[in-house]
Amino acid sequence: MSDQAADDVSTFQDIIRTLQNYWSEQGCVIMQPLDMEVGAGTFHPATFLRAIGPEPWRTAYVQPSRRPSDGRYGDNPNRLQHYFQFQVLIKPSPDDFQNLYLGSLEQMGFDTLVHDVRFVEDNWEAPTLGAWGLGWEVWLNGMEVSQFTYFQQVGGVECNPVSGEITYGIERLAMYIQGVDSIYDLIWTRGPQGIVTYGDIYHQNEVEQSSYNFELADSAELFHWFDVCEQQGQNLIDKKLPLPAYEQVIKASHTFNLLDARHAISVTERQRFILRVRTLSRGVARAYLESRKALGFPLLAPEARS
Amino acid sequence: MNTADCLIELGTEELPPRSLKTLSQSFAELTRRALEDCGLTPSSVQVFATPRRLAMLLRDVPTRQSDRLVEKRGPALAVAFDAEGKPSKAALGFAKSCGVSFDALTQKATDKGSWLYFEKSEAGLGLRQILPGVVSTALTRLPIPKRMRWGTRSDEFVRPVKWLLMMIGSEPVDAEILGVRGGAVSYGHRFHAPGEISITRATDYESLLRTKGWVVADFDLRKSIIRGLVEENADKLGGIVQIEEPLLDEVTALVEYPVAVCGAFDEEFLDIPQEALVMTMQDNQKYFAVFDQAGKLMPHFIAIANIDSRHPEVVVAGNERVIRPRFSDAGFFYRQDQKQPLAKLLPRLDAVVFQEQLGSLGDKTRRITGLAIYIASRLGADEDQVGRAAELCKCDLMTGMVGEFPKLQGVMGRYYARHDHEPEQVSNAIEQHYWPRFAGDELPQSDVAQCLALADRLDSLIGIFAIGEKPSGVKDPFALRRSALAVVRILIEKSLPLDLGDLCARARQGLAHKIDASSVETEVIDYIFGRLRTYYQEQKINFDIVDAVVVDKPPELRDCDRKIQALNQFQSNTAALALAAANKRIVNILKKQKLDPSAAVNPSRFELAAEKQLFEQLNTLRARVEPMFDEGQYLQGLNELAGLRPAVDQFFDEVMVMVDDESLKNNRLALLQQLFRCFRQVADFSRIQSK
Repeated sequence: MSDQAADDVSTFQDIIRTLQNYWSEQGCVIMQPLDMEVGAGTFHPATFLRAIGPEPWRTAYVQPSRRPSDGRYGDNPNRLQHYFQFQVLIKPSPDDFQNLYLGSLEQMGFDTLVHDVRFVEDNWEAPTLGAWGLGWEVWLNGMEVSQFTYFQQVGGVECNPVSGEITYGIERLAMYIQGVDSIYDLIWTRGPQGIVTYGDIYHQNEVEQSSYNFELADSAELFHWFDVCEQQGQNLIDKKLPLPAYEQVIKASHTFNLLDARHAISVTERQRFILRVRTLSRGVARAYLESRKALGFPLLAPEARS
Repeated sequence: MNTADCLIELGTEELPPRSLKTLSQSFAELTRRALEDCGLTPSSVQVFATPRRLAMLLRDVPTRQSDRLVEKRGPALAVAFDAEGKPSKAALGFAKSCGVSFDALTQKATDKGSWLYFEKSEAGLGLRQILPGVVSTALTRLPIPKRMRWGTRSDEFVRPVKWLLMMIGSEPVDAEILGVRGGAVSYGHRFHAPGEISITRATDYESLLRTKGWVVADFDLRKSIIRGLVEENADKLGGIVQIEEPLLDEVTALVEYPVAVCGAFDEEFLDIPQEALVMTMQDNQKYFAVFDQAGKLMPHFIAIANIDSRHPEVVVAGNERVIRPRFSDAGFFYRQDQKQPLAKLLPRLDAVVFQEQLGSLGDKTRRITGLAIYIASRLGADEDQVGRAAELCKCDLMTGMVGEFPKLQGVMGRYYARHDHEPEQVSNAIEQHYWPRFAGDELPQSDVAQCLALADRLDSLIGIFAIGEKPSGVKDPFALRRSALAVVRILIEKSLPLDLGDLCARARQGLAHKIDASSVETEVIDYIFGRLRTYYQEQKINFDIVDAVVVDKPPELRDCDRKIQALNQFQSNTAALALAAANKRIVNILKKQKLDPSAAVNPSRFELAAEKQLFEQLNTLRARVEPMFDEGQYLQGLNELAGLRPAVDQFFDEVMVMVDDESLKNNRLALLQQLFRCFRQVADFSRIQSK
C-alpha cells in the first residue's frame, strides 16, 4: 500500500500526528477540533454539514468527544466520558477508499500480512441527526479499531454524492500499539521530565466530570436549557442562519446526553426528545443546502456549477 | 446444439455476513431462471460466495437460442383478392406492413377459414448478447434489505462493486454493470493475493482462486473446512465445541481463507456465569467457546482468522487482548450486582416504564404476582414460592449484568436468586418464566415457573391489546405472537387444567386500575385460538380439523388439543368422510329452519323404520360414548359413533325430511339436530373438508 516506512507511533500524540500527515497527503483539509461538546466526530460541521449537497470535500481532524453516561469515575480502564476520535470524511467516497484506510494502518506499522484486518458489517445510524449509512467496523485481530461508513442520508437529506467517513478510536489503537491494559497508562508523550501519561492529563477530569454527569448536573436547568436551544435553533433556521442554528442542535444534543446520564428521561420520553433534536437537524440540513445553493455551491468545480 | 460453461463473478467490498448465503443463492437462481426463460437452460449451477464476491458457474449453457418461426396472419382469403383475382388493397397493405412483396406471402387454411399469412424464420440470439441483461436484471432483483449508493453513482447495491468477471467458455463477455466492465480477470484474497488473476476457462475458476488467489470460493466447502478446524483444535485442547449453525455460517461469511486461532483467557474469569462469557465470545467476537466433557466452560476459545499470518502469535495475542476488558467488565458487574440481594431491587422497578398506559415494571410485577398466585391456586402449586418468584422475576433487569447483556435476562436472575439462597424452584422459575424464548424452545419445567410464564404473557396480551397495539401484518413490536404461542404450548404440552377464558378475565381484572380491557378480552381469546392453526400446521394437521374444534372454543386448551388429535386420527376411519358429509347436510337443512334448539324427539311420531333405527342406535351409542367424551377419550368415542354410518345413510336414502306435515317434519329435524349435537361434542363435523 504505502511505500513509505512506517512512522514511530509509540506515543498517543505520535498516532495523531501520523494520521494527520497521512490524510493530509491524501488531500484532506486538516481541521481543528470543534470547540463545543459533541458525542462524536460526526457532529463537527466539517462532517455533518459538509456531507450535505454536491460540493466535493476532504477533511481530517481530531475531535474530543463526550459521552456522559460512559463515565466511570476513572475506575474503569476501558471507559471514558471524554475521549478522542480521529475523523476522516471524503466526498465523493473514492473508489480506493478501503485501500486508503489500509494505507493508514500500514503507516502506523500494521503489516496486513501479520495482523488479521477485517471489514465486518456495521451499519450506522444517528437518530438525533436524521442520518444513516452502511459500512463496517474494522477489526484488527478481533478488536474494533475504526468505523467505516458510506453516508446515505444526513439531516434527512439524501447524500448525493455519497461521503465516505472513517472514525478511528485513538485510545484503542494506542492501547494496542503500546500493549497497555489501561487507558490511563497510555504514554501521551515523553517529555524532559519523563513520560507523561494519558492518566496524568485526564484522570482527574474523568473523576470530577463523572460526579457532575451522574450526581450534580442540575436536571431542571438542563430541561430548561434544552427547550431554549430548541427554540433558538428553530428561530435561527427561520432566519436562514444554518450555522448558528446547527450549534443549537449540538447544544441540545449534549444537554439530552447529560439528562440521559442523570436517568432523568424515561424510556418513552426518550424517543420524544430524540425526535425533537432530529426535527431541528433536518431543518438545519435543509437550510444549509439552500444557503450553499444561494452561494452557487462555491466548492464545486466551475464546469460542474452550471 | 452448442453449449458452453459460463462464469459470472461480481467483486464487491465486504458483504453483510448474515445475508451472504441468501444473496449468492438468489443471484444464481434468478440468473438461471432468466436464462431458462430465454431457452438457454444450464445443466447445473454451482454457487460461490465469499465476503468479497458473489459468483456462479453455469454448466452447459446453449450458446444460441434456436431459430423461431414467426407467423403473422393477414386478411381472410375472401377479401384478399379483387373481382379480377388481383391482390386487394387490404392484401397489399398487409404485405407492405410486413415489409415484403405480395408474392412472399403464403396462404393457410384452418378449420375456421383461410387467411393470408406472412411467415419468417427469426434467428435466435446468442448467449453473449443475452447474458449481460440477464445478470444485470438479476442483480436489481436480489433480496437486499438496505441498498446503498457510493461515490457519485446513482445506482444501488449491497456494497460498492469493484469488478465483474463474465465468461463464456474461455472468452470474456463485454458488458458494463453497476459501473464496472466485464472481463476475464478476478482478484484474490485482499492481502495474500491482491493482484489480478486471469481466469483462462470458466471451469478453472474455483481451482485458480484456491491455488493462486488464497480464496476458498465455495461457501459450503469453506464452512466444512472451518468446522473441521474448530473440531480439530477443540480436540487438541481436550474439549468439545457445540457448533451452532448460525455462528458457523456467519464466520464462514467473514473469511475467504480460514485459519484457526486458539486463544486462552485467565481461569479466574470462569467465576463469572458462563452464559455471559459464551455470549461475549460468540455474539461480539464470533469465537467458538470450548467446553470440557462435563459441559463446563474451559478458559479457551477458537477464532477463525482470514489470514495465514507471518506471526500467528500476534493474532492470538490480539484476540486474547480483546476479550480481557470485556470479561473484566462482566466480572465487575457480576460482583457489584451480588453486593445487594435481588429483592432489594424491587422498589426500583417502579421507576422503569413498562408501557406508558400500563405503568411501570413495578406495576407489571404486582399484576404478574396476583395472577400467578391465582393460577397456582387453580393448579395446586406452592403459592408462596410462586409469589416469591413473581416478585423477583423482573428484578434482574435492574442489574448491571443485564444492562450489559440484555439477552441474559432471567439467567442472571437465577444466579443472583441462588446466591441469595432463594429456594431452587424460585431461582429456576425466574429464568424459566421467559421460556419458550423461540420456536421449538424448551418449556418452563416446574409448575411454579409455568404459573409465572402464563401470568406474564397473559398480562401483556390483554394490556397491549387494550392500548390498541395488537399485532397487525408484520408489525408486532411487543412480540405478542410469540407470547400467545407460548401460552398455547404451555397449556397444551404441560396439560394444564386451566380455563383460558377465566385466565383472561383474571388478567383483565388485574389491569382494571390502569385500563379497561373488557372490550378486548374476547379478541385476545380469539387471537390465542388463532395461533392454534400455526401450532398444528407444524404437526401437519390441516386447518379444517383445527377449525372444526376451535369453533366451539373449548375452555381448556388441553381438551381442545385432545379433540383435535382425536379428530385428526379419526380421519383414517372409513366412515369419517361420510359422517362429515352427513353433518354438512344436516347443517344445511337446519340452517333454513327455525327449530327450537332444545326440541325433543317424539318416538311415537316415527313413520319409517329408518327414523326409528337411527334414533335407537343414536341413543344406545350416546349412552356409551358420553362417558368416553367426559373422560376426554374422544377418538374411542368417535370410533364408536362411526357405527352410525349405515343408519345415517339409510335415513337420508329413505326418509324425506321436508314434508308438509309440520309436526312430522319438526320431529325429523329434531332427530337430525340430536345427531349433529352428538358429534358436536367433539367438533363441528360439517367444517371438515373432503379431500
